[in-house]
Amino acid sequence: MGDGLHIDWLGRVPYADALARQADAVEARRAGASGDRLLLLEHPPVVTLGRSAREENLRTPRAALVARGVEVHEVARGGDVTWHGPGQLVGYLIVDLAARGLADAPAFLRLVEAALADALARLGVAAEARPGMTGVFVAGSAPPRKLASIGLGLRGWISWHGFALNVTTAPHAFSDIVPCGLHGVSMTSLAQELGTERAGLLDEARAAVAAAFSERLA
Amino acid sequence: MSIEVQLPALGESVLEGTVARWLVKEGDAVEQDQPIVEVTTDKVDAEIPAPAAGVIEALVAAEGDVVPVGGVLARIAAPGEARPGAQRAASARAPAPAQAPPQPSAPPRPAAPAPRSPAPGPAEPARATPVARRVAEDTGVDLGRVPGTGIGGRVTKADVERAAAPPAAAAATPARPAAAARPAPTPAGRGARAPAADRFGHYAVQEGDRVVPMSPLRKLVAEHMVYSKQTAPHVGTVAEVDLGGVVRLRDAHKEAFAEQHGVPLTFLPFVVHAAVRALREHPALNASVLEDSIVEKRDVHVGIAVETERGLIVPVVRHADRLSLAGLAAAIEDLSARSRTKRLSADELQGGTFTVSNPGRHGNLYGFAIINQPQVGILRMGEIVKRPVVRSVGGEDAIVVRPVMHLALSYDHRAVDGAPANAFLHRVKELLETADFDL
Repeated sequence: MGDGLHIDWLGRVPYADALARQADAVEARRAGASGDRLLLLEHPPVVTLGRSAREENLRTPRAALVARGVEVHEVARGGDVTWHGPGQLVGYLIVDLAARGLADAPAFLRLVEAALADALARLGVAAEARPGMTGVFVAGSAPPRKLASIGLGLRGWISWHGFALNVTTAPHAFSDIVPCGLHGVSMTSLAQELGTERAGLLDEARAAVAAAFSERLA
Repeated sequence: MSIEVQLPALGESVLEGTVARWLVKEGDAVEQDQPIVEVTTDKVDAEIPAPAAGVIEALVAAEGDVVPVGGVLARIAAPGEARPGAQRAASARAPAPAQAPPQPSAPPRPAAPAPRSPAPGPAEPARATPVARRVAEDTGVDLGRVPGTGIGGRVTKADVERAAAPPAAAAATPARPAAAARPAPTPAGRGARAPAADRFGHYAVQEGDRVVPMSPLRKLVAEHMVYSKQTAPHVGTVAEVDLGGVVRLRDAHKEAFAEQHGVPLTFLPFVVHAAVRALREHPALNASVLEDSIVEKRDVHVGIAVETERGLIVPVVRHADRLSLAGLAAAIEDLSARSRTKRLSADELQGGTFTVSNPGRHGNLYGFAIINQPQVGILRMGEIVKRPVVRSVGGEDAIVVRPVMHLALSYDHRAVDGAPANAFLHRVKELLETADFDL
């Protein structure tokens, strides 16, 4: 096994369940029981804390935030605090980088950015990666408008976690929890950029993302 | 013979990683491929697996240490050979320079030039990363006098470099320990501006100080506050509100109310009710700034800022304008009860369109709260105190004693001018003084 990329649509999955499924998928990949996979799904509203290289994020993973009553998960991925929820297409990539001769984490990150830009182009939005800023942004936007966030983890050379593409997320979904724009970046969504809330946009995005990753990780 | 666990090359452009968390401790038995440590880089976070089975002999790098690619993270002894912890303190905590990663097979290097300060150990006062120690050695900076901004107050390479940077023109003589302690603002440095903290001063941690790392909640609050203050020009206005009517109403009904609705009747729902009615009449305060537009919202969802022992939380009463006074009292009571038992959903903490802050009994005369972004106004209650006020009694001015509360409105002058903001606050005062509430 190992050839190509197997893509699953899991529907709306609570964060903890998705985390467990990822861990299982990583184990299966490592054991050779399955090939590379892309898990596509949506989350119910949740806040996750990445490792922002701050010890307190590691030592007091949730106590303080749970105090606010927010469903909070501390995860072994890069980045700071983020929000997931309805209208956002989340993709978890379980890929054995070494087996693909891709044993270069930043190079894989660029591949993910490029695949998302491919998918967005199919959907009618010109998007681009920005040097020094992880994620995918509306091409030429200033200040940058971010369409997708990326946070990858590695277990050995097997990747996990992935990306979150804002498809029909409400414009203020982020600002209530994480003051976005802190670094001059604002969150946008595909629907906002297209100026449409047309039905089935999430399905279209799913198909485009699946096609783009199938090509890049053929 | 023990095996070294090194930081692998994670990619061409990755030169170093930060030890985020150890997943094992010294003396633990590990299997081959078992993740033993989480390392962060600026691109990805990686769990590094054990290259072979054995027992963790030493965790060479500490959490927070920056380790170059090829640098030693830990040593694993073959099963049976373990000497847990034997070499931790004395051994090669200092990795080779990041610019020149050692060959994967290089033996562990001895600790770089003997530190001038007391050797690392339990009594070591300055906590610093290995790279920072090396830079301190090179530049002659006394680590004990460098304020650490790293994890747990650890001194980082950047801290040392900052401390070592001589003020302005003295750049030719880098090794000046005396310059290290306090980077002072310098008039000569006007051309290339240093970061604000450099110009306005760092606090150097003193012996006896207690350094408390910020919790994630504290950091979120801090970021939000800075963001709000930088984004929204806050203007404040204060109303003195005679709560005589409300107090009378409350006294007359509180027992029946508690019996009928099962919740105590406090002053907060009165204030929220008045604020909501005033917001309906002054939608400019129930708004957000969205790029070049001001969005006036149809719905009125009121955040109730409450200090709890765990920190500041702002549960949201949704559609507060559709609720009666009793409905508001019940909703507020329900949210605050569940916030104490941590049973609020994410939805109940977001989506507010305006905020009322109730600091409680010790709220003092008044204060200006910071706007809860992306809203444009926040109303803060002061404490209710009996005060002598002048009233007209039978056509004559008289000094009477009334329960008085100051209500302070902070508003975002990007979106709201003084006249509508003052009209709004005045209306809140009027509604509270008229005390025309259905009970």
